[in-house]
Amino acid sequence: MFCTTSSPEQRRWVRSCWMSAAIVVPLVIGAALAFRLYHLHGVAAYAVAVLPTLPILWVLAELGRYLAVEKDEFQRNVLIQCVLGGTGGTLATTTIWGYLEDFARAPHLDLVYVYPIFWLFVLVSYPVVTLRYK
Amino acid sequence: MNRRVGSPAKYRFEDRFLFFIVPLFVLDGVLGFWGFHYHHLHPAGALAVVCAALQSSPIIAFIVIIALYLAEENDEFQKSILVQSMLWAIGVTLAVATFCGSMEKYSQGPRVDIASVQFLFFIVMIIAIGANRWRYR
Repeated sequence: MFCTTSSPEQRRWVRSCWMSAAIVVPLVIGAALAFRLYHLHGVAAYAVAVLPTLPILWVLAELGRYLAVEKDEFQRNVLIQCVLGGTGGTLATTTIWGYLEDFARAPHLDLVYVYPIFWLFVLVSYPVVTLRYK
Repeated sequence: MNRRVGSPAKYRFEDRFLFFIVPLFVLDGVLGFWGFHYHHLHPAGALAVVCAALQSSPIIAFIVIIALYLAEENDEFQKSILVQSMLWAIGVTLAVATFCGSMEKYSQGPRVDIASVQFLFFIVMIIAIGANRWRYR
């Protein structure tokens, strides 16, 4: 996303993204294995299901911090517009899919895909937003 | 008398909300309750896609008017409140969706309709705007 990272804040934000992605994968696999092998129930099940959400919250907290400290107004606006694109795309996709499940018996879409869908739309929004300023 | 004067961008945001989003929500409500629940309409094929797209139109319109507001608003503080609220809303929505998805996937929780993600986002966004305004009052 930021191929030409320059400011230390941008570098920290990009590093957080990569670290979060690196952490979330073993947590998701670990949670899946824990449920499969130990047939968790009750509090333990809730605790294990919460684990994959922690990197999600961390990366979004870092996003908020980055937006607060970034001095370059242009970079900040671009990122805000990308997040808006990601939010709009995610909400529109989940709503359309949810109603298609009801109306047209579309296959059930797991809620775990909402997070990847959000970042997919953020990534798609980035070239569209930057193209506007060329 | 504690009446605050807003910026022109805020007035435009409120006008757009009142004249675009509210009618779309009413239309969605009428379609949802009167059409699908009362008359049990079951659109199929292309009509189903059109109905589903119509149901998501308030969200798309809402995101568009937020983008317009952020582009027009000169007050950085007001802009930052909206951006912070949006970040809270999307953060909580993604975390709750992932948590519920994990619980559902491993047969520990009820099946949650994916269309409910939008309601969660809007509820958290309203709470976050209120909390942020209270924080900086």
